[in-house]
Amino acid sequence: MKSAGVAPALLLPAEVLAQRATGARSAPAIPKLEVTSPDAAGETVHRFFNEARFTALRRLGELFQPKVGNAPGATEAGAPEFLDFLIGASPADRKKLYNNGLDALNAAAQKKYRKNFAATTAEEADAVIRPLLATWDYEPPADPVIRFVSEAHQDLRNATVNSREYAEAGAASASRRRAGNTGLYFNPIP
Amino acid sequence: MAAKEYDVLIIGSGHSGGMAANVLTKKNLSCLMLNAGPVVDLEKDRSVKAAHELPFRGLGEPGRNPHIVIGNEFNANQWVDEREVPYTTETNARYDWVRVRLVGGRSLFWARQCFRLSDYEFKAKDHDGFGDNWPIDLAELTPYYDRVDSIFKVVGRKENLPQFPDGKFIDIQEGPESKATKDITSAAKDRGIAVSRMRFAQGEGGLASSVNLLLPEAAASGFLDIVPNAIVREITVDKNTGKANGAHFVDRHSKREVHVKARAVVLAAGTLESTRLLLNSGIANSSGVMGHYLIDQLYGCKVVASLPEARNGKVKPGMIGGGMFIPRFRNLKKGEKNNFLRGYSLPLGSGGGADPRMFREYGPELQKKLDEYRGSCVQGGLYGEVLPRFENHVRINKEVKDAWGIPVLHIHAKYGENELNMAKDAANTQEELYKAAGFEILYKSDKLFAPGYSIHELGTCRMGDNPKTSVLNKYNQSHDIKNLFVVDGAAFVTGGWQNPTLTISALSMRASEYLAEQMRMKNI
Repeated sequence: MKSAGVAPALLLPAEVLAQRATGARSAPAIPKLEVTSPDAAGETVHRFFNEARFTALRRLGELFQPKVGNAPGATEAGAPEFLDFLIGASPADRKKLYNNGLDALNAAAQKKYRKNFAATTAEEADAVIRPLLATWDYEPPADPVIRFVSEAHQDLRNATVNSREYAEAGAASASRRRAGNTGLYFNPIP
Repeated sequence: MAAKEYDVLIIGSGHSGGMAANVLTKKNLSCLMLNAGPVVDLEKDRSVKAAHELPFRGLGEPGRNPHIVIGNEFNANQWVDEREVPYTTETNARYDWVRVRLVGGRSLFWARQCFRLSDYEFKAKDHDGFGDNWPIDLAELTPYYDRVDSIFKVVGRKENLPQFPDGKFIDIQEGPESKATKDITSAAKDRGIAVSRMRFAQGEGGLASSVNLLLPEAAASGFLDIVPNAIVREITVDKNTGKANGAHFVDRHSKREVHVKARAVVLAAGTLESTRLLLNSGIANSSGVMGHYLIDQLYGCKVVASLPEARNGKVKPGMIGGGMFIPRFRNLKKGEKNNFLRGYSLPLGSGGGADPRMFREYGPELQKKLDEYRGSCVQGGLYGEVLPRFENHVRINKEVKDAWGIPVLHIHAKYGENELNMAKDAANTQEELYKAAGFEILYKSDKLFAPGYSIHELGTCRMGDNPKTSVLNKYNQSHDIKNLFVVDGAAFVTGGWQNPTLTISALSMRASEYLAEQMRMKNI
């Protein structure tokens, strides 16, 4: 029990006090332990989008960022699952943009082909997507569905090329051109 | 315990605060510098990581820094967290306020572009009748510009153009020009437009910050104390004398409040933080213009063009590559007719590829396009002048407080017809030059980025000779409180198209020398 007025030093273990008395100040050496990342150990569980939206996003990933050679595509990189997490953790306006955008793709596919976007062939999907493609730089177009397609395209691309799978495939390739994104990371401010 | 009274309290540690400390300590004045954030070690506090090692795979923590377009998950921690220090704006009037609170401020991360203002900016009203002149001119500031050039080690090419004043440049060997840049230069010359090279601060090891060029000397003098993590809440004024006598600050970690004393106060917290502090202190605003005439610089207006013979990997040495810089060329002659006032510059780069967003393609077709255009492109944006208008302003929003209980800023900034017309002209001019040089336009946008994007917010405590229409006199000294100086971008009357750092530094040097002299003469 800690009593009021007791100096903190008196609460230290005896071996620490002894160490101080002998003047030994270096911290005990701890062997470096190898650790692994969550992505290497398991898969992201998707829990934000409903099934119709999630499968539409996965189909969009297959189209926008397919597997090319040894470079993994969105599916192999787990990009749809990662975006399910990211959008689920995002502010309400971004959630709405994605939910409504995915619903719009399903609605368009239902209207044209009587099936959800996830079940469309490449040709059918292209007929749905192509009118929604736009060029932009600073900010995507204001139309909410075109804006969704623009942002989802960029997000799927980044979530793929920034993945562990992409980096490992790039590192294993002869040219190492696709080694994934690296950068100078600024630590949290103390 | 009686608090020590310093000669000068300096609030902020970027280029303007660092310059003040550098100058004032050389005059043997004891200085206390307060900075809202900690000291960082750019070697130890940064490390190379793969994007997949970051918590959000490099896409950024959702909801963090929504207004920092150049921000990403790698650099997220260097910026002020908007959740800690929010600000408010009008509905549907976006303002991108980008702040750094580390010791050294934004001088740690600036792009190091160095341009002097010309008398087209200092005496803008004389030229086109709009707004107000500065109370100083280029000749008055030139000796200070020269000294700042030497400190920053500014690299540039002399051009002898009145709208693009030459500096005291250090010599460097320029690389040979590519055929593409020669062709663009020639197309510009045919239209009476001069093409130069970028001017930039070499600094030391690629860093031209107050922490490596200004503060070390001041700290070594023994006349400077620096307190990091000190968030200044209020500048205090002696009720009897009406003079500033110190400040209250809140310790960033413990939130303990501390008062410090000084004979003079130099405010260098960065344009809008300085104004926020003055407005929250309720001082130095007998003119009523404090917070008004908020300006920044126009960025945006992207045009990308491609050289057909350089596509599909056919680039040959000397065919394309290298940068160009086109200084202001519009509205230089009196009576010149354009549908906008003032002017803009064009920074251009060649030899790169295209952004995926420039194509209406996806999947393998998109990759094919990116491969096709790689190395064949020229692209540019604009740096444009924003007219100083009274209605663009900041004020205190007492309803919202930051993490330390300090009321935040409400920012009202909108671009007008002048800015929109300027952007259209900039896009059309680029298109014309690129086509004349044999390029094909791939992407053209005259859209402007939101106000604030340039990170060159200026004005809100403008200087002037008339105390009824300005906050500061020509020495950055408060008209109302003679021992109070504002030495950052808040003092600007016009912003020009030029990166303002060189001018801010020169003005801070000049103001600090004036303050030291006034203190020596016992006028302060």
